[in-house]
Amino acid sequence: MNTQELQKMAKKLRYEAVRMVYEGKDGHPGPALSCADIVTTLYFDIMNVDPNNPEYPDRDRFILSKGHACPVWYAALNKRGYFNPKVEHFQLRQLSSMFQGHPSMHSTKGIDMTSGSLGNGIAIGAGMATAAKIQKRNYYTYVICGDGELQEGVCWEGVNMANGRKLDNLIVFVDRNGWQSYKTVEFTVGQNNIADRFRAFGWHTQEIDGHDYDAIKCAVAIAKSAKGRPSAIICDCVKGKGLSYMENNNAWHKGVPNDEQWEIAKRELGGED
Amino acid sequence: MVEFKGTREAFAAALYELASVNDKVVGVFPDALKAMRAVSFGETYPDRYIECGIAEQCAVDVAAGLASTGLLPFVGTYCGFLTMRAGEQMRTFVGYTDLNVKFIGVNAGVLGGEREGVTHQFYEDLAFITSLPNFTVLTPADPEQMYEAVKYAAEICGPVYIRGGSGREIEIYEKDAPFSRDGITVWKEYGTDAVLFSSGYVLDRVLAAAELLKEQGVNVTVADINILYGKNPSRILELMVKTDQIITIEDHNINGGLGSYISRLAVENRPVKVKRIALTDYAESGPAKELADAYGFSPEGIADTVKKALASQ
Repeated sequence: MNTQELQKMAKKLRYEAVRMVYEGKDGHPGPALSCADIVTTLYFDIMNVDPNNPEYPDRDRFILSKGHACPVWYAALNKRGYFNPKVEHFQLRQLSSMFQGHPSMHSTKGIDMTSGSLGNGIAIGAGMATAAKIQKRNYYTYVICGDGELQEGVCWEGVNMANGRKLDNLIVFVDRNGWQSYKTVEFTVGQNNIADRFRAFGWHTQEIDGHDYDAIKCAVAIAKSAKGRPSAIICDCVKGKGLSYMENNNAWHKGVPNDEQWEIAKRELGGED
Repeated sequence: MVEFKGTREAFAAALYELASVNDKVVGVFPDALKAMRAVSFGETYPDRYIECGIAEQCAVDVAAGLASTGLLPFVGTYCGFLTMRAGEQMRTFVGYTDLNVKFIGVNAGVLGGEREGVTHQFYEDLAFITSLPNFTVLTPADPEQMYEAVKYAAEICGPVYIRGGSGREIEIYEKDAPFSRDGITVWKEYGTDAVLFSSGYVLDRVLAAAELLKEQGVNVTVADINILYGKNPSRILELMVKTDQIITIEDHNINGGLGSYISRLAVENRPVKVKRIALTDYAESGPAKELADAYGFSPEGIADTVKKALASQ
Protein backbone atom coordinates (compact mmCIF):
# COMPACT_ATOMS: atom_id res chain seq x y z
CA MET A 1 0.00 0.00 0.00
CA ASN A 2 1.14 3.53 -0.63
CA THR A 3 1.22 6.15 2.09
CA GLN A 4 -2.24 7.53 1.40
CA GLU A 5 -3.76 4.05 1.39
CA LEU A 6 -2.06 3.15 4.66
CA GLN A 7 -3.22 6.41 6.19
CA LYS A 8 -6.79 5.67 5.17
CA MET A 9 -6.60 2.10 6.45
CA ALA A 10 -5.10 3.18 9.78
CA LYS A 11 -7.97 5.61 10.25
CA LYS A 12 -10.46 2.81 9.66
CA LEU A 13 -8.68 0.57 12.15
CA ARG A 14 -8.68 3.35 14.72
CA TYR A 15 -12.38 3.83 14.20
CA GLU A 16 -13.03 0.10 14.59
CA ALA A 17 -10.84 -0.12 17.70
CA VAL A 18 -12.66 2.72 19.44
CA ARG A 19 -16.03 1.37 18.32
CA MET A 20 -15.36 -2.07 19.76
CA VAL A 21 -14.35 -0.55 23.11
CA TYR A 22 -17.45 1.68 23.04
CA GLU A 23 -19.74 -1.24 22.22
CA GLY A 24 -18.01 -3.70 24.57
CA LYS A 25 -17.92 -1.12 27.36
CA ASP A 26 -14.37 -2.08 28.33
CA GLY A 27 -10.84 -1.99 26.95
CA HIS A 28 -7.71 0.07 26.34
CA PRO A 29 -8.29 2.55 23.52
CA GLY A 30 -5.27 4.80 24.14
CA PRO A 31 -2.65 2.03 23.77
CA ALA A 32 -4.45 0.70 20.68
CA LEU A 33 -4.39 4.05 18.90
CA SER A 34 -0.74 4.50 19.85
CA CYS A 35 0.47 1.51 17.82
CA ALA A 36 -2.22 1.65 15.11
CA ASP A 37 0.13 2.87 12.40
CA ILE A 38 2.72 0.17 13.11
CA VAL A 39 0.03 -2.53 13.05
CA THR A 40 -1.43 -1.11 9.84
CA THR A 41 1.91 -0.98 8.07
CA LEU A 42 2.79 -4.51 9.16
CA TYR A 43 -0.50 -6.08 8.09
CA PHE A 44 -1.13 -4.10 4.93
CA ASP A 45 2.36 -3.69 3.57
CA ILE A 46 5.18 -5.56 5.27
CA MET A 47 4.15 -8.96 6.56
CA ASN A 48 3.95 -12.06 4.46
CA VAL A 49 0.68 -13.59 5.66
CA ASP A 50 -2.26 -15.31 4.01
CA PRO A 51 -5.63 -14.82 5.70
CA ASN A 52 -6.99 -17.78 3.70
CA ASN A 53 -4.27 -20.02 5.02
CA PRO A 54 -3.42 -18.44 8.36
CA GLU A 55 -1.37 -21.39 9.63
CA TYR A 56 0.97 -21.85 6.72
CA PRO A 57 4.44 -22.54 8.10
CA ASP A 58 6.39 -19.90 6.21
CA ARG A 59 4.18 -16.98 7.22
CA ASP A 60 5.68 -14.10 9.10
CA ARG A 61 4.87 -14.19 12.81
CA PHE A 62 3.47 -11.36 14.86
CA ILE A 63 3.23 -10.94 18.63
CA LEU A 64 1.46 -8.03 20.24
CA SER A 65 3.44 -8.12 23.44
CA LYS A 66 1.47 -5.14 24.77
CA GLY A 67 -1.60 -7.31 24.38
CA HIS A 68 -4.00 -4.78 25.90
CA ALA A 69 -3.75 -2.85 22.63
CA CYS A 70 -5.55 -5.73 20.90
CA PRO A 71 -8.60 -3.80 19.65
CA VAL A 72 -6.55 -2.37 16.82
CA TRP A 73 -5.12 -5.81 16.03
CA TYR A 74 -8.58 -7.36 15.93
CA ALA A 75 -9.63 -4.57 13.59
CA ALA A 76 -6.61 -5.22 11.36
CA LEU A 77 -7.27 -8.97 11.18
CA ASN A 78 -10.88 -8.22 10.27
CA LYS A 79 -10.00 -5.79 7.50
CA ARG A 80 -7.25 -8.09 6.25
CA GLY A 81 -9.82 -10.84 5.72
CA TYR A 82 -9.12 -13.35 8.49
CA PHE A 83 -12.78 -13.61 9.43
CA ASN A 84 -15.40 -14.79 7.00
CA PRO A 85 -17.86 -13.18 7.01
CA LYS A 86 -16.29 -9.98 8.23
CA VAL A 87 -17.12 -9.12 11.81
CA GLU A 88 -19.69 -6.34 12.21
CA HIS A 89 -19.78 -6.16 16.00
CA PHE A 90 -16.81 -7.52 17.84
CA GLN A 91 -18.39 -8.11 21.23
CA LEU A 92 -15.02 -7.37 22.76
CA ARG A 93 -14.59 -8.89 26.23
CA GLN A 94 -18.08 -10.41 26.18
CA LEU A 95 -18.87 -13.97 27.23
CA SER A 96 -18.29 -16.49 24.40
CA SER A 97 -16.77 -13.83 22.16
CA MET A 98 -13.82 -14.79 19.97
CA PHE A 99 -12.30 -11.44 20.92
CA GLN A 100 -10.86 -11.92 24.38
CA GLY A 101 -9.79 -9.04 26.61
CA HIS A 102 -6.24 -9.91 25.71
CA PRO A 103 -5.17 -11.85 22.60
CA SER A 104 -5.70 -15.60 22.74
CA MET A 105 -4.29 -17.83 20.01
CA HIS A 106 -7.01 -20.43 20.30
CA SER A 107 -9.85 -17.92 20.32
CA THR A 108 -9.03 -15.79 17.32
CA LYS A 109 -7.89 -16.82 13.86
CA GLY A 110 -4.64 -15.17 12.80
CA ILE A 111 -3.18 -14.84 16.28
CA ASP A 112 0.15 -16.64 16.45
CA MET A 113 0.62 -16.28 20.18
CA THR A 114 -1.40 -15.47 23.25
CA SER A 115 -0.27 -12.27 24.96
CA GLY A 116 -1.25 -9.67 27.48
CA SER A 117 0.91 -10.66 30.41
CA LEU A 118 3.46 -7.92 29.86
CA GLY A 119 7.09 -8.59 29.14
CA ASN A 120 7.01 -11.92 27.36
CA GLY A 121 6.75 -11.04 23.68
CA ILE A 122 10.46 -10.62 22.99
CA ALA A 123 11.44 -13.98 24.48
CA ILE A 124 8.56 -15.80 22.79
CA GLY A 125 9.45 -14.06 19.55
CA ALA A 126 13.03 -15.19 20.06
CA GLY A 127 11.69 -18.73 20.27
CA MET A 128 9.81 -18.34 17.00
CA ALA A 129 12.85 -16.77 15.34
CA THR A 130 15.05 -19.59 16.63
CA ALA A 131 12.58 -22.10 15.20
CA ALA A 132 12.91 -20.44 11.79
CA LYS A 133 16.69 -20.82 11.94
CA ILE A 134 16.45 -24.47 13.00
CA GLN A 135 13.90 -25.31 10.32
CA LYS A 136 15.65 -23.15 7.72
CA ARG A 137 12.55 -21.08 7.08
CA ASN A 138 12.76 -17.51 5.87
CA TYR A 139 9.96 -15.93 7.85
CA TYR A 140 10.44 -12.93 10.10
CA THR A 141 9.05 -12.55 13.59
CA TYR A 142 7.69 -9.12 14.50
CA VAL A 143 6.94 -8.03 18.05
CA ILE A 144 5.37 -4.82 19.33
CA CYS A 145 6.25 -3.89 22.93
CA GLY A 146 5.36 -0.88 24.99
CA ASP A 147 8.04 1.30 26.54
CA GLY A 148 6.56 0.86 30.02
CA GLU A 149 6.45 -2.89 29.42
CA LEU A 150 10.23 -2.91 29.13
CA GLN A 151 10.37 -2.55 32.91
CA GLU A 152 9.60 -6.27 33.07
CA GLY A 153 12.85 -8.15 33.62
CA VAL A 154 11.97 -10.98 31.28
CA CYS A 155 12.11 -8.53 28.36
CA TRP A 156 15.84 -8.22 28.89
CA GLU A 157 16.25 -11.96 29.31
CA GLY A 158 14.80 -12.27 25.83
CA VAL A 159 16.93 -9.41 24.54
CA ASN A 160 20.05 -11.19 25.84
CA MET A 161 19.06 -14.52 24.39
CA ALA A 162 18.20 -13.10 20.96
CA ASN A 163 21.56 -11.37 20.81
CA GLY A 164 23.35 -14.53 21.88
CA ARG A 165 21.76 -16.48 19.04
CA LYS A 166 22.21 -13.67 16.51
CA LEU A 167 18.52 -13.66 15.64
CA ASP A 168 18.54 -11.28 12.68
CA ASN A 169 15.07 -12.57 11.76
CA LEU A 170 13.57 -10.96 14.87
CA ILE A 171 12.34 -7.36 14.64
CA VAL A 172 10.99 -5.68 17.75
CA PHE A 173 9.05 -2.43 17.61
CA VAL A 174 8.91 -0.42 20.80
CA ASP A 175 5.83 1.80 20.97
CA ARG A 176 7.47 4.63 22.89
CA ASN A 177 4.55 6.82 23.89
CA GLY A 178 6.11 7.64 27.25
CA TRP A 179 3.15 6.52 29.33
CA GLN A 180 2.22 3.57 31.43
CA SER A 181 -0.80 2.71 33.52
CA TYR A 182 -0.33 5.28 36.25
CA LYS A 183 2.12 7.94 35.09
CA THR A 184 4.97 8.48 32.67
CA VAL A 185 7.83 6.08 32.10
CA GLU A 186 10.24 8.81 33.16
CA PHE A 187 8.39 9.33 36.42
CA THR A 188 8.49 5.61 37.06
CA VAL A 189 12.08 4.69 36.24
CA GLY A 190 13.80 8.04 35.84
CA GLN A 191 14.50 7.77 32.14
CA ASN A 192 13.19 6.36 28.88
CA ASN A 193 16.49 5.69 27.13
CA ILE A 194 15.24 2.62 25.33
CA ALA A 195 17.47 2.98 22.29
CA ASP A 196 20.64 3.23 24.37
CA ARG A 197 19.66 0.09 26.23
CA PHE A 198 19.01 -1.97 23.12
CA ARG A 199 22.31 -0.80 21.63
CA ALA A 200 24.11 -1.75 24.83
CA PHE A 201 22.62 -5.23 24.55
CA GLY A 202 24.05 -5.61 21.04
CA TRP A 203 20.92 -5.02 19.00
CA HIS A 204 20.73 -3.14 15.73
CA THR A 205 18.71 -0.14 16.84
CA GLN A 206 16.83 2.57 14.99
CA GLU A 207 14.65 5.44 16.18
CA ILE A 208 11.76 6.64 14.04
CA ASP A 209 8.42 8.42 14.11
CA GLY A 210 5.95 5.64 14.86
CA HIS A 211 3.20 7.34 12.89
CA ASP A 212 5.22 7.74 9.68
CA TYR A 213 4.40 4.84 7.36
CA ASP A 214 7.38 5.42 5.08
CA ALA A 215 9.71 5.55 8.07
CA ILE A 216 8.28 2.27 9.37
CA LYS A 217 8.73 0.58 5.97
CA CYS A 218 12.22 1.96 5.58
CA ALA A 219 13.25 0.91 9.09
CA VAL A 220 12.09 -2.66 8.48
CA ALA A 221 14.05 -2.80 5.24
CA ILE A 222 17.16 -1.58 7.05
CA ALA A 223 16.55 -4.05 9.90
CA LYS A 224 16.39 -6.90 7.41
CA SER A 225 19.73 -5.87 5.95
CA ALA A 226 21.41 -5.88 9.37
CA LYS A 227 22.79 -9.40 9.41
CA GLY A 228 23.79 -11.26 12.53
CA ARG A 229 21.87 -9.09 15.00
CA PRO A 230 18.27 -8.76 16.12
CA SER A 231 16.68 -5.40 15.43
CA ALA A 232 14.88 -2.91 17.60
CA ILE A 233 12.88 -0.11 16.02
CA ILE A 234 12.08 2.46 18.66
CA CYS A 235 8.96 4.28 17.55
CA ASP A 236 8.01 7.63 18.97
CA CYS A 237 4.26 7.41 19.30
CA VAL A 238 1.44 9.44 20.77
CA LYS A 239 -0.82 7.55 23.10
CA GLY A 240 -4.39 7.90 21.83
CA LYS A 241 -3.14 9.15 18.45
CA GLY A 242 -5.84 10.25 16.01
CA LEU A 243 -8.60 11.13 18.43
CA SER A 244 -8.32 14.62 19.89
CA TYR A 245 -9.51 13.98 23.40
CA MET A 246 -7.47 10.81 23.76
CA GLU A 247 -4.15 12.11 22.41
CA ASN A 248 -1.48 12.16 25.10
CA ASN A 249 -4.19 11.89 27.74
CA ASN A 250 -3.36 8.93 29.93
CA ALA A 251 -6.88 8.82 31.31
CA TRP A 252 -7.55 6.81 28.15
CA HIS A 253 -5.07 4.09 28.99
CA LYS A 254 -8.20 2.22 29.87
CA GLY A 255 -11.60 3.73 29.42
CA VAL A 256 -14.86 3.74 27.52
CA PRO A 257 -16.13 6.72 25.52
CA ASN A 258 -19.54 7.96 26.55
CA ASP A 259 -22.18 8.62 23.89
CA GLU A 260 -21.03 12.17 23.35
CA GLN A 261 -17.37 11.14 23.09
CA TRP A 262 -18.33 8.40 20.67
CA GLU A 263 -20.03 10.97 18.43
CA ILE A 264 -16.79 12.95 18.41
CA ALA A 265 -14.84 9.79 17.59
CA LYS A 266 -17.11 9.07 14.65
CA ARG A 267 -16.57 12.57 13.29
CA GLU A 268 -12.80 12.58 13.78
CA LEU A 269 -12.13 9.03 12.64
CA GLY A 270 -14.50 9.19 9.72
CA GLY A 271 -16.79 6.29 10.46
CA GLU A 272 -16.76 3.44 7.99
CA ASP A 273 -15.77 5.54 4.99
CA MET B 1 21.84 -50.79 25.95
CA VAL B 2 21.61 -47.25 27.24
CA GLU B 3 23.68 -46.59 30.34
CA PHE B 4 22.86 -43.92 32.86
CA LYS B 5 23.01 -43.30 36.58
CA GLY B 6 20.46 -41.15 38.37
CA THR B 7 17.47 -39.28 37.04
CA ARG B 8 19.42 -36.50 35.39
CA GLU B 9 21.52 -38.82 33.26
CA ALA B 10 18.35 -40.78 32.55
CA PHE B 11 16.69 -37.61 31.24
CA ALA B 12 19.72 -36.77 29.11
CA ALA B 13 19.89 -40.28 27.66
CA ALA B 14 16.23 -40.24 26.72
CA LEU B 15 16.48 -36.74 25.22
CA TYR B 16 19.50 -37.80 23.17
CA GLU B 17 17.65 -40.82 21.83
CA LEU B 18 14.51 -38.86 21.04
CA ALA B 19 16.57 -36.23 19.22
CA SER B 20 18.28 -38.91 17.14
CA VAL B 21 14.99 -40.12 15.69
CA ASN B 22 12.93 -36.93 15.68
CA ASP B 23 14.42 -33.74 14.27
CA LYS B 24 11.66 -31.69 15.88
CA VAL B 25 13.08 -32.42 19.34
CA VAL B 26 14.96 -29.45 20.80
CA GLY B 27 16.44 -28.85 24.23
CA VAL B 28 15.96 -25.51 26.00
CA PHE B 29 18.23 -24.80 28.95
CA PRO B 30 18.62 -21.79 31.25
CA ASP B 31 22.34 -22.43 31.81
CA ALA B 32 21.44 -25.93 32.96
CA LEU B 33 22.98 -28.14 30.28
CA LYS B 34 25.64 -29.41 32.67
CA ALA B 35 23.24 -29.74 35.60
CA MET B 36 20.92 -31.77 33.39
CA ARG B 37 23.85 -33.97 32.27
CA ALA B 38 22.98 -33.11 28.67
CA VAL B 39 26.33 -31.85 27.42
CA SER B 40 26.54 -34.63 24.84
CA PHE B 41 23.14 -33.59 23.50
CA GLY B 42 24.38 -30.02 23.13
CA GLU B 43 27.56 -31.13 21.40
CA THR B 44 25.82 -33.54 19.05
CA TYR B 45 22.91 -31.25 18.19
CA PRO B 46 24.25 -27.70 18.53
CA ASP B 47 21.46 -26.22 16.42
CA ARG B 48 18.84 -27.88 18.60
CA TYR B 49 20.46 -26.93 21.88
CA ILE B 50 18.85 -23.62 22.82
CA GLU B 51 20.77 -21.79 25.53
CA CYS B 52 18.79 -19.05 27.26
CA GLY B 53 21.25 -18.08 29.97
CA ILE B 54 20.34 -17.89 33.63
CA ALA B 55 16.83 -16.80 32.78
CA GLU B 56 14.08 -19.33 33.41
CA GLN B 57 11.20 -17.11 32.38
CA CYS B 58 12.92 -16.55 29.07
CA ALA B 59 13.50 -20.28 28.66
CA VAL B 60 9.82 -21.06 29.10
CA ASP B 61 8.82 -18.25 26.73
CA VAL B 62 11.34 -19.40 24.14
CA ALA B 63 10.01 -22.94 24.43
CA ALA B 64 6.48 -21.66 23.86
CA GLY B 65 7.65 -19.85 20.75
CA LEU B 66 9.43 -22.96 19.49
CA ALA B 67 6.43 -25.18 20.16
CA SER B 68 4.08 -22.76 18.39
CA THR B 69 5.92 -23.59 15.16
CA GLY B 70 5.58 -27.34 15.60
CA LEU B 71 8.90 -28.11 17.28
CA LEU B 72 9.02 -30.32 20.39
CA PRO B 73 10.94 -28.51 23.13
CA PHE B 74 12.18 -30.09 26.35
CA VAL B 75 13.04 -27.56 29.05
CA GLY B 76 15.27 -28.75 31.84
CA THR B 77 16.44 -27.09 35.03
CA TYR B 78 15.74 -26.96 38.78
CA CYS B 79 12.05 -27.46 39.37
CA GLY B 80 11.53 -24.51 41.68
CA PHE B 81 13.04 -22.09 39.22
CA LEU B 82 10.62 -23.43 36.63
CA THR B 83 7.42 -23.71 38.61
CA MET B 84 7.88 -20.69 40.81
CA ARG B 85 10.14 -18.20 39.07
CA ALA B 86 8.71 -19.02 35.64
CA GLY B 87 5.38 -20.28 36.91
CA GLU B 88 3.35 -17.63 35.19
CA GLN B 89 5.02 -18.35 31.87
CA MET B 90 4.29 -22.06 32.33
CA ARG B 91 0.66 -21.25 33.06
CA THR B 92 -0.12 -18.58 30.49
CA PHE B 93 2.11 -19.45 27.56
CA VAL B 94 2.20 -23.24 27.81
CA GLY B 95 -0.78 -24.34 29.91
CA TYR B 96 -3.39 -21.90 28.64
CA THR B 97 -2.06 -22.18 25.09
CA ASP B 98 -1.87 -25.98 25.43
CA LEU B 99 1.47 -26.02 23.64
CA ASN B 100 3.55 -29.13 23.28
CA VAL B 101 6.32 -28.29 25.74
CA LYS B 102 7.92 -30.81 28.12
CA PHE B 103 9.44 -29.71 31.41
CA ILE B 104 11.89 -31.68 33.50
CA GLY B 105 12.29 -30.12 36.91
CA VAL B 106 15.14 -31.51 39.01
CA ASN B 107 16.13 -31.03 42.65
CA ALA B 108 12.63 -31.96 43.75
CA GLY B 109 12.23 -32.49 47.47
CA VAL B 110 14.78 -32.57 50.27
CA LEU B 111 16.43 -35.52 48.57
CA GLY B 112 16.65 -33.55 45.34
CA GLY B 113 18.42 -30.63 46.92
CA GLU B 114 19.98 -32.39 49.91
CA ARG B 115 23.28 -30.64 50.71
CA GLU B 116 22.40 -27.51 48.73
CA GLY B 117 19.86 -26.41 51.30
CA VAL B 118 16.47 -24.75 51.08
CA THR B 119 17.25 -22.42 48.16
CA HIS B 120 17.85 -25.46 45.97
CA GLN B 121 15.35 -27.90 47.46
CA PHE B 122 11.83 -27.59 46.13
CA TYR B 123 8.78 -29.08 47.78
CA GLU B 124 6.11 -26.82 46.31
CA ASP B 125 6.32 -27.58 42.59
CA LEU B 126 3.51 -30.11 42.46
CA ALA B 127 1.10 -27.87 44.35
CA PHE B 128 1.37 -25.32 41.58
CA ILE B 129 1.70 -27.50 38.54
CA THR B 130 -1.19 -29.81 39.39
CA SER B 131 -3.48 -26.77 39.43
CA LEU B 132 -2.80 -26.02 35.76
CA PRO B 133 -5.30 -27.43 33.26
CA ASN B 134 -3.79 -29.23 30.23
CA PHE B 135 -0.62 -30.30 32.09
CA THR B 136 0.19 -33.97 32.56
CA VAL B 137 2.26 -34.46 35.73
CA LEU B 138 4.63 -37.41 35.90
CA THR B 139 6.47 -38.40 39.08
CA PRO B 140 8.94 -41.19 38.31
CA ALA B 141 10.37 -43.10 41.26
CA ASP B 142 13.82 -43.96 39.97
CA PRO B 143 16.22 -43.37 37.06
CA GLU B 144 14.71 -46.09 34.88
CA GLN B 145 11.30 -44.59 35.32
CA MET B 146 12.62 -41.12 34.54
CA TYR B 147 13.99 -42.47 31.26
CA GLU B 148 10.62 -44.03 30.46
CA ALA B 149 8.75 -40.91 31.57
CA VAL B 150 10.70 -38.71 29.16
CA LYS B 151 9.93 -41.12 26.32
CA TYR B 152 6.27 -41.19 27.34
CA ALA B 153 6.16 -37.39 27.53
CA ALA B 154 7.14 -37.21 23.87
CA GLU B 155 4.07 -39.31 23.00
CA ILE B 156 1.70 -37.00 24.86
CA CYS B 157 0.28 -34.11 22.87
CA GLY B 158 0.41 -31.11 25.21
CA PRO B 159 2.31 -29.82 28.22
CA VAL B 160 4.05 -32.32 30.50
CA TYR B 161 5.90 -31.79 33.76
CA ILE B 162 8.28 -34.49 34.99
CA ARG B 163 9.69 -34.39 38.50
CA GLY B 164 13.41 -35.20 38.75
CA GLY B 165 15.86 -35.44 41.58
CA SER B 166 19.47 -34.91 42.50
CA GLY B 167 20.91 -37.47 40.12
CA ARG B 168 21.76 -39.88 42.92
CA GLU B 169 18.52 -41.83 43.06
CA ILE B 170 18.41 -45.53 43.90
CA GLU B 171 17.40 -47.94 41.13
CA ILE B 172 14.25 -49.88 41.96
CA TYR B 173 12.45 -50.71 38.74
CA GLU B 174 13.68 -53.31 36.27
CA LYS B 175 15.37 -51.90 33.20
CA ASP B 176 12.81 -51.23 30.44
CA ALA B 177 9.90 -51.56 32.88
CA PRO B 178 7.22 -49.43 31.22
CA PHE B 179 6.02 -46.19 32.76
CA SER B 180 2.55 -47.18 33.95
CA ARG B 181 -0.13 -45.45 31.92
CA ASP B 182 -2.58 -46.25 34.72
CA GLY B 183 -0.65 -44.04 37.12
CA ILE B 184 0.03 -46.86 39.54
CA THR B 185 2.37 -49.82 40.01
CA VAL B 186 1.74 -52.20 42.90
CA TRP B 187 5.00 -53.30 44.53
CA LYS B 188 4.04 -55.25 47.63
CA GLU B 189 0.85 -57.03 48.52
CA TYR B 190 1.46 -58.33 52.02
CA GLY B 191 -2.05 -57.42 53.10
CA THR B 192 -4.55 -54.60 53.36
CA ASP B 193 -4.09 -53.47 56.96
CA ALA B 194 -3.06 -50.29 55.22
CA VAL B 195 -2.33 -49.23 51.66
CA LEU B 196 0.83 -47.14 51.28
CA PHE B 197 0.86 -44.85 48.26
CA SER B 198 4.33 -43.56 47.45
CA SER B 199 5.29 -40.91 44.93
CA GLY B 200 8.77 -40.12 43.68
CA TYR B 201 12.16 -40.97 45.09
CA VAL B 202 11.07 -42.19 48.51
CA LEU B 203 9.78 -45.50 47.14
CA ASP B 204 12.80 -47.47 48.40
CA ARG B 205 12.10 -46.15 51.90
CA VAL B 206 8.43 -47.06 51.70
CA LEU B 207 9.30 -50.57 50.54
CA ALA B 208 11.71 -50.92 53.44
CA ALA B 209 8.98 -49.72 55.82
CA ALA B 210 6.63 -52.40 54.46
CA GLU B 211 9.21 -55.06 55.31
CA LEU B 212 9.61 -53.70 58.83
CA LEU B 213 5.84 -53.65 59.29
CA LYS B 214 5.54 -57.21 58.04
CA GLU B 215 8.08 -58.34 60.61
CA GLN B 216 5.89 -56.69 63.22
CA GLY B 217 2.70 -58.36 62.00
CA VAL B 218 1.28 -55.42 60.07
CA ASN B 219 0.65 -56.40 56.49
CA VAL B 220 0.40 -53.59 53.98
CA THR B 221 0.19 -52.99 50.26
CA VAL B 222 2.66 -50.62 48.62
CA ALA B 223 1.96 -48.88 45.34
CA ASP B 224 3.95 -46.31 43.41
CA ILE B 225 1.83 -43.48 42.02
CA ASN B 226 3.60 -42.09 38.96
CA ILE B 227 0.94 -39.80 37.45
CA LEU B 228 -0.80 -37.18 39.56
CA TYR B 229 -4.36 -36.27 38.68
CA GLY B 230 -4.30 -38.67 35.73
CA LYS B 231 -7.30 -38.90 33.46
CA ASN B 232 -8.24 -42.40 34.58
CA PRO B 233 -7.50 -43.26 38.23
CA SER B 234 -9.60 -46.45 38.17
CA ARG B 235 -6.74 -48.74 39.22
CA ILE B 236 -5.93 -46.50 42.16
CA LEU B 237 -9.58 -46.56 43.20
CA GLU B 238 -9.65 -50.37 42.93
CA LEU B 239 -6.89 -50.52 45.51
CA MET B 240 -8.43 -47.89 47.75
CA VAL B 241 -11.59 -49.92 48.36
CA LYS B 242 -9.55 -52.79 49.81
CA THR B 243 -8.44 -51.00 52.96
CA ASP B 244 -9.63 -48.79 55.81
CA GLN B 245 -6.35 -46.90 56.13
CA ILE B 246 -4.37 -45.16 53.45
CA ILE B 247 -0.94 -43.64 53.97
CA THR B 248 0.63 -41.31 51.42
CA ILE B 249 4.36 -40.69 51.37
CA GLU B 250 5.99 -37.98 49.26
CA ASP B 251 9.03 -35.74 49.35
CA HIS B 252 6.91 -32.61 48.88
CA ASN B 253 4.98 -30.22 51.05
CA ILE B 254 1.98 -31.84 52.69
CA ASN B 255 -0.33 -29.65 50.63
CA GLY B 256 -0.78 -29.93 46.91
CA GLY B 257 0.98 -33.16 45.98
CA LEU B 258 0.24 -36.87 46.27
CA GLY B 259 -1.54 -36.54 49.63
CA SER B 260 -3.92 -33.97 48.24
CA TYR B 261 -4.57 -36.07 45.16
CA ILE B 262 -5.29 -39.27 47.07
CA SER B 263 -7.39 -37.41 49.64
CA ARG B 264 -9.50 -36.01 46.83
CA LEU B 265 -9.97 -39.45 45.31
CA ALA B 266 -10.99 -40.80 48.70
CA VAL B 267 -13.42 -38.00 49.48
CA GLU B 268 -15.05 -38.13 46.08
CA ASN B 269 -15.15 -41.90 45.64
CA ARG B 270 -14.64 -43.91 48.77
CA PRO B 271 -14.34 -42.16 52.14
CA VAL B 272 -11.41 -43.74 53.95
CA LYS B 273 -8.90 -42.43 56.44
CA VAL B 274 -5.83 -40.92 54.79
CA LYS B 275 -2.64 -40.15 56.73
CA ARG B 276 -0.21 -37.99 54.81
CA ILE B 277 3.53 -38.26 55.35
CA ALA B 278 5.12 -35.22 53.75
CA LEU B 279 6.99 -32.05 54.56
CA THR B 280 5.45 -29.38 56.75
CA ASP B 281 8.33 -26.93 56.92
CA TYR B 282 11.42 -25.76 55.04
CA ALA B 283 14.26 -28.22 55.50
CA GLU B 284 18.05 -27.68 55.58
CA SER B 285 21.35 -28.93 54.15
CA GLY B 286 22.58 -32.39 54.88
CA PRO B 287 23.69 -35.77 53.53
CA ALA B 288 20.79 -37.39 51.69
CA LYS B 289 20.14 -40.33 53.99
CA GLU B 290 20.37 -38.41 57.24
CA LEU B 291 18.36 -35.53 55.84
CA ALA B 292 15.52 -37.71 54.57
CA ASP B 293 15.51 -39.62 57.86
CA ALA B 294 15.37 -36.40 59.85
CA TYR B 295 12.40 -35.07 57.88
CA GLY B 296 10.19 -38.11 58.34
CA PHE B 297 11.17 -40.45 55.56
CA SER B 298 13.17 -43.10 57.46
CA PRO B 299 11.70 -46.59 57.02
CA GLU B 300 11.35 -46.77 60.79
CA GLY B 301 9.59 -43.41 60.91
CA ILE B 302 7.21 -44.36 58.11
CA ALA B 303 6.44 -47.70 59.78
CA ASP B 304 5.84 -45.96 63.08
CA THR B 305 3.42 -43.50 61.48
CA VAL B 306 1.51 -46.37 59.87
CA LYS B 307 1.17 -48.16 63.19
CA LYS B 308 0.03 -45.01 64.97
CA ALA B 309 -2.56 -44.37 62.27
CA LEU B 310 -3.89 -47.90 62.62
CA ALA B 311 -3.94 -47.64 66.41
CA SER B 312 -6.00 -44.46 66.27
CA GLN B 313 -8.73 -45.97 64.14
